[in-house]
Amino acid sequence: MKLKVWGARGSVPAPGPHMNRYGGNTSCVQLTLASGEELILDAGTGIRSLGLDLNAGRRIHILLTHLHLDHIQGLMFFPPCFRADSEITIWGPSSPEASLEDRIARYISAPLSPVEVRELPCSVSFRDTPASEWELGGATIRAEAVTHRGPTLGYRITDGPTAIAYIPDHEPALGAPLAGLEPEWISGFDLARDTDLLIHDCQYSDEEYPEHVGWGHSGVSDTLAFASRVQARRLMMFHHDPLHSDEFLDEFCASARSTWGDLGGDATQLEMGMEGAELEVGPAATVPPVHA
Amino acid sequence: MATPRPQKPLELILARNLLTSISTPAFLLDHEAAVVFYNEAAAALLGRSFEEAGRMEAEQWTQAFGPFDRSGVPVEVDALATTEAIREGRPAHATFTIRTADGSPQSIEASAFPIVASEEGSSGAMILFWPLSENGDSG
Repeated sequence: MKLKVWGARGSVPAPGPHMNRYGGNTSCVQLTLASGEELILDAGTGIRSLGLDLNAGRRIHILLTHLHLDHIQGLMFFPPCFRADSEITIWGPSSPEASLEDRIARYISAPLSPVEVRELPCSVSFRDTPASEWELGGATIRAEAVTHRGPTLGYRITDGPTAIAYIPDHEPALGAPLAGLEPEWISGFDLARDTDLLIHDCQYSDEEYPEHVGWGHSGVSDTLAFASRVQARRLMMFHHDPLHSDEFLDEFCASARSTWGDLGGDATQLEMGMEGAELEVGPAATVPPVHA
Repeated sequence: MATPRPQKPLELILARNLLTSISTPAFLLDHEAAVVFYNEAAAALLGRSFEEAGRMEAEQWTQAFGPFDRSGVPVEVDALATTEAIREGRPAHATFTIRTADGSPQSIEASAFPIVASEEGSSGAMILFWPLSENGDSG
């Protein structure tokens, strides 16, 4: 499975000279499956550039984790939405309050938007994620609710022998230290168990986290503890705080790799989500280590 | 290698986190009415920690701790307010007597409410206990 990061920032776009390397666009990841089909994980502002890169006339599946603005803001600027030959399916969490389409239309409607969903020239459909696994492009997809603020999903995508988990907004240690919990009581555990790559929320340093408990994001120690508990072979720390500069994230990564090694992990298999990064993901033996 | 137990629904995980943080004795039941967690305040009342007791089926629970009616007769599982709350998807409130760690009876006011997150029904229930003093006051 191939993966490209189009946006790794959390909360709000953070452009600027001090953010150029890791990037300022919000969550968006492109997966290319063994079948050649592509999946898009989240529609943060990174999806705008991704859309410019896509060939016309493709069938597009977008898997939304949740509807916070940093995960859907790019939808209105996604070029395929404005092409009549595009066929787009948007998957997301269900809600008893309103349909997925109606909830997204709160953003793609006046006064926030100059266009309405019904005016988009593409063919677009909205689907609640099923409670059980389903297939897209030859891959098996599993979505489960995870600890965040509001209805939020994590995804597990299994393509042949390769499994990745995408849980960009997640606070699994809220109210209960991960070290003492049995796996069945850890949010997201089954999604991330034994994955070849875990893309996980790591918005805060341990110094910042106490001021943000309950905001739905993880401090670095909790991210590493979670990755260790689920025995992820490779970890991408994701959803960077908009205040974290390139220099900060470099140091953050070095510190995390040291801790990851202390936890028994392979420090070469921990990396930071970086806009533009392209990865080949496969079972452990087939993938070279990550380089700083 | 033992087969791992399936992960609990998120709403039960969050409920457990809440119970861990409060000082009111409280219990968490799964959809089969088994006790899958109780907090430290409940452990103090029962004299046994959850880590020590582990998951208990409803029948195991009633044998160990009750409840008993005002005459001291064990209340059948099917007649428990909590069982009703889970099966019928509605809240319940009851007064009964349990057996504490030292074997002495303790009157309790209990409120149970189902935890419902999907159209398929409740995934469990939360039960809060308010121990009654001898004159019938809670707290």
